[in-house]
Amino acid sequence: MAAPKIMKQGRVVPWLYVLPALAVILIFVVYPTLNTTYLSFRNRSGDQPASADCIAGSPCWGVFENYRYAITHPDMVQALRNNALWLLLMVPATVAIGLFISVLADRVRYESLVKSIIFMPMAISFIGAGVIWRFMYYIETGGNPQIGVFNALLTSVGFKPVPWLSTAGINNLALMLVGVWLWAGFSMSILSAALKGLPIEVLEAARVDGASEWQVFWRVMLPMIMPTVTVVVTTMVIIVLKIFDIVFVMTGGNFGTEVIANRMFKLIVTNTGRSMAIAVILLLLTIPIMIINVRRFREQEATR
Amino acid sequence: MKGKLAKWFSLWMVVGLVLAGCVTQTPTQQVAPPPAATATPTEAMMAEPTATETTAPEMGPQIDCMGAASGDTLSVVYQWSGQEEEKINTIFKPFVDACGVQITSESTRDDAVLDTKVKSVPPDLLFWPTTAPTLLYTDQLKDLSSLGASGDNYAQFWKDLGTVNGTWLAVPVKADIKSIIWYSPVQFQTFGYDVPTTFDELKTLVEQMVTDGNIPWSMGFENGAATGWTGSDFIQDLLLTLQGPQYVMGIIDGSVPYDDPGVVQAYEIYAKWASDPKYTVGGATGTVNTAFLDAIYKVFSDPPEAMMVKQSGFAGDEVKKEYPDLVYGTDYDFFAFPGAKGMQGGADYMMAFSDSAATKAMVAYLTSAYGAEVWAQTGFDISPNSAAVGKYTDPALTKKADALANASGFTPDLGDTIPAPFGDTEWQAIIDVVQGGDIPTALAKVAAAQATALGQ
Repeated sequence: MAAPKIMKQGRVVPWLYVLPALAVILIFVVYPTLNTTYLSFRNRSGDQPASADCIAGSPCWGVFENYRYAITHPDMVQALRNNALWLLLMVPATVAIGLFISVLADRVRYESLVKSIIFMPMAISFIGAGVIWRFMYYIETGGNPQIGVFNALLTSVGFKPVPWLSTAGINNLALMLVGVWLWAGFSMSILSAALKGLPIEVLEAARVDGASEWQVFWRVMLPMIMPTVTVVVTTMVIIVLKIFDIVFVMTGGNFGTEVIANRMFKLIVTNTGRSMAIAVILLLLTIPIMIINVRRFREQEATR
Repeated sequence: MKGKLAKWFSLWMVVGLVLAGCVTQTPTQQVAPPPAATATPTEAMMAEPTATETTAPEMGPQIDCMGAASGDTLSVVYQWSGQEEEKINTIFKPFVDACGVQITSESTRDDAVLDTKVKSVPPDLLFWPTTAPTLLYTDQLKDLSSLGASGDNYAQFWKDLGTVNGTWLAVPVKADIKSIIWYSPVQFQTFGYDVPTTFDELKTLVEQMVTDGNIPWSMGFENGAATGWTGSDFIQDLLLTLQGPQYVMGIIDGSVPYDDPGVVQAYEIYAKWASDPKYTVGGATGTVNTAFLDAIYKVFSDPPEAMMVKQSGFAGDEVKKEYPDLVYGTDYDFFAFPGAKGMQGGADYMMAFSDSAATKAMVAYLTSAYGAEVWAQTGFDISPNSAAVGKYTDPALTKKADALANASGFTPDLGDTIPAPFGDTEWQAIIDVVQGGDIPTALAKVAAAQATALGQ
């Protein structure tokens, strides 16, 4: 058979192939991004430059007025701080728990059962999880018995019930626990797959050389699955940066639990400019992570 | 495989098309239902035969057609639909019968649709739940006094709300009040409590309840992202009681800053009642964690957890749903916020873009004593027309109407009226104060939001 003609196409044909994908990306990604950026420099209703919202006598950053709000306003500072807290706590917790379970489950017979249970919350939407956990944290302040699991347990052993969601300091951790519960299964399943893919000979060799199981894990397994760990971490970072549903459903951002995406949502109708500025900041925060992810991916592809 | 994919794709296309079809159809259905609307009056008449039967004999002489001839048309735009639309048609019915005017109605809630209509072919009459159109279309709207509206039937504050530059452009036809407190008459009887009629009596009653070991209030206001709104209603009632309606209107137009000593005073009273476990179920923790619906139930549960809950008219329906055995009037009832000098609530206003005979006749009819009577008997909330007092058949409406008739002012909800970010900031401040935050600090933030919102 002669070489198929399709191999000898001109310069135009490849473009025709990518055109549909390109069109979709232009319409649904590029255009909205540009328009969002444009609107972030406009005022609250988008019909004048952002500087129109400046109040005489107050600090003003001209067309960057919405960014002044997004970076300096106390509500936003709190949201940014909370997002940082979410990143610092939820990402490591999810990865650590995922790794812990996948390593341990690897050694037991009922592995698939354990993994299914841990993975199950992934099937629940954020909103559903929020509603479920609101009941878990529920506090009855009148004369009725506690119906929230945590407070029922506390009161049954003689402690006072705790208002988990309205107490600053505790509530952020309470919300993060929901996030970890939802996403530990994700990190577990990916890390577990990576562990299973490790060549058994290497592990055997380490053990024959006298390495303890502890050393095998830290010195052999972990370095070998590091690329996968990075993928999980970067994915989790992006997910946590965009965290919204859990906070929206469970506290509405009240009691000091505000996060960036929730503020963006609250402002989208009442002050488009500010909302869009927050969106742009969120995008800017995500981009470096995306770059790391893409680089990782390319390196991995190159070594294949 | 390819065939399957193609099938899926075409299925998606079909779903997409259907959805797109729905989207474009819905507004047109809502906006332009002339055939349905002209059919409704007869249906409505059949649905409520008593109302028309009792009023039928007096019809002829009571309605002045102002020269409108049979067959004249009258176009109206309103937001009502469903049951509400049936009620308004019941109210239009005697007028239609007497003058033979043909009414074409459109129901829309969309400001943009209204705007387009006003700029092309404005309706003869507009019924709208705010007076905002009087500012937007000041020059196009007609002076109601020149159309034969009976101004004497309305309190001065009502006319002031609809007056722009000295011209009376909007008259309220329907109102509902929020300044009410729900309680259990059975419990009040058991403990020998009387319904308070002044604010001092309310304060004394609250202290008496605390002394008796009862919890006076159920203040719970948890509602997700909207947590705190119940508190804002309570505070507005305190402002209406301690300062009066002019003061509240001053907050709306910005002449009274939200951190004014008068507001601070209201917050101090509220904070005490909403954060102390002696005064409200569960203290501050209970207030911020109890859903506002649960807060209603707590007053009517067995045994009750609290004596009173301040909530709008819908609380009665909620009690009925949660405790179907309870009877309105004996097991649950309400009283107007004691000593409130004005009421807060919502109102629908009538505005005229035309001075045709039919328009004049309708304006004259709805503002007349007879029109008010028909309105009251139809039971379409309450009529701000003073002639409607005592004409209601529903006991709850009678009580609300009395409260409104005795009020010296009417104010819309602060948070709904002042643009963003005021409302959210107000709720934040309330949560903060209930949880022990410093009142002046919290209110300073709201005052800043108020200034931003009003562009000051």
